[in-house]
Amino acid sequence: MEETDFILKLLDPKTQNEAFKKLLSEYQKPLYNHIRNIVLNHDDADDVLQNTFVKVFQYLKTFNGDSKLFSWIYRIATNEALTFIKNKAKRNGISSESMQSKIVENLAADTYFDFSGIQLKLQKAINELPEKQQLVFKMRYFEEIKYEDMSEILGTSVGALKASYHHAAKKIEIFMTKD
Amino acid sequence: MNKFKLDKEPKIDSGFKIPENYFETLSEKIQIQLQEKETKVVPLISKRYKWIMAVAAILVLALMIPFYNKIAPSNTELDDTTLEDYITDQSSINQYDLVSLLEAEDIQNIKVELPIENETIEDHLYSNSNIEQYIIE
Repeated sequence: MEETDFILKLLDPKTQNEAFKKLLSEYQKPLYNHIRNIVLNHDDADDVLQNTFVKVFQYLKTFNGDSKLFSWIYRIATNEALTFIKNKAKRNGISSESMQSKIVENLAADTYFDFSGIQLKLQKAINELPEKQQLVFKMRYFEEIKYEDMSEILGTSVGALKASYHHAAKKIEIFMTKD
Repeated sequence: MNKFKLDKEPKIDSGFKIPENYFETLSEKIQIQLQEKETKVVPLISKRYKWIMAVAAILVLALMIPFYNKIAPSNTELDDTTLEDYITDQSSINQYDLVSLLEAEDIQNIKVELPIENETIEDHLYSNSNIEQYIIE
């Protein structure tokens, strides 16, 4: 299998560097987007992304092929991003939800946010949702990740994920309909 | 008011912008981080340090030898005079015990030529009334 070969190349010290460069080029953009969707801020996304790749490299030898490499990498990225938010909120002495609300409110002033009314409104709508629903919605709507892959990444059944998305979408539509 | 329908509306972008050339420099930044992690993860006691420890231990032991010699006397044997005094002082050891320990050769060597005149012997016998003791021996 192609993936097995690639993993072997990543584990072999002789081919490791080249294989890792390939992994980087393949995953850096989608992983960045995934992480940015969670942490919202570019500098934070940059930190988390770098940490993610370092962890991927370090833990590669523990990867046992139970899931796809893709899912395993995304799982690390998701956990890193969520932990980052929690720690940031803790340092500021507030809840994660409050932390994220603050960031969303400030998005308009963010250099690296395209201030077009509807995008900001959508971010605010998403921010109203419970954390898990936010994650599911972003992964489906922005990143267009398949439910099967999402299930492997988040450890939730496909059915539960579809239901989660459905609830999220309904709430967002209500928010977006309001002025 | 038109109800907003996600699947009816054109796809809305997340709105996030990325700094120019961000991905071009990312690879390098990560490689640096990986190198830093590698140098941090060294064995707790490196080979070099083990060598230094070994040499230090040997030096300490070597330095302790003269010091140890000062504490404990190098000559553990007693000199002859001390030994003789000890034997004579110890009343529990009589001459018969000593003789039994000696070899025949040693006994011959002990025999000292004492030129004692008969007169001296007679005088001694007279002064000493305990003649029987001598007859028995």
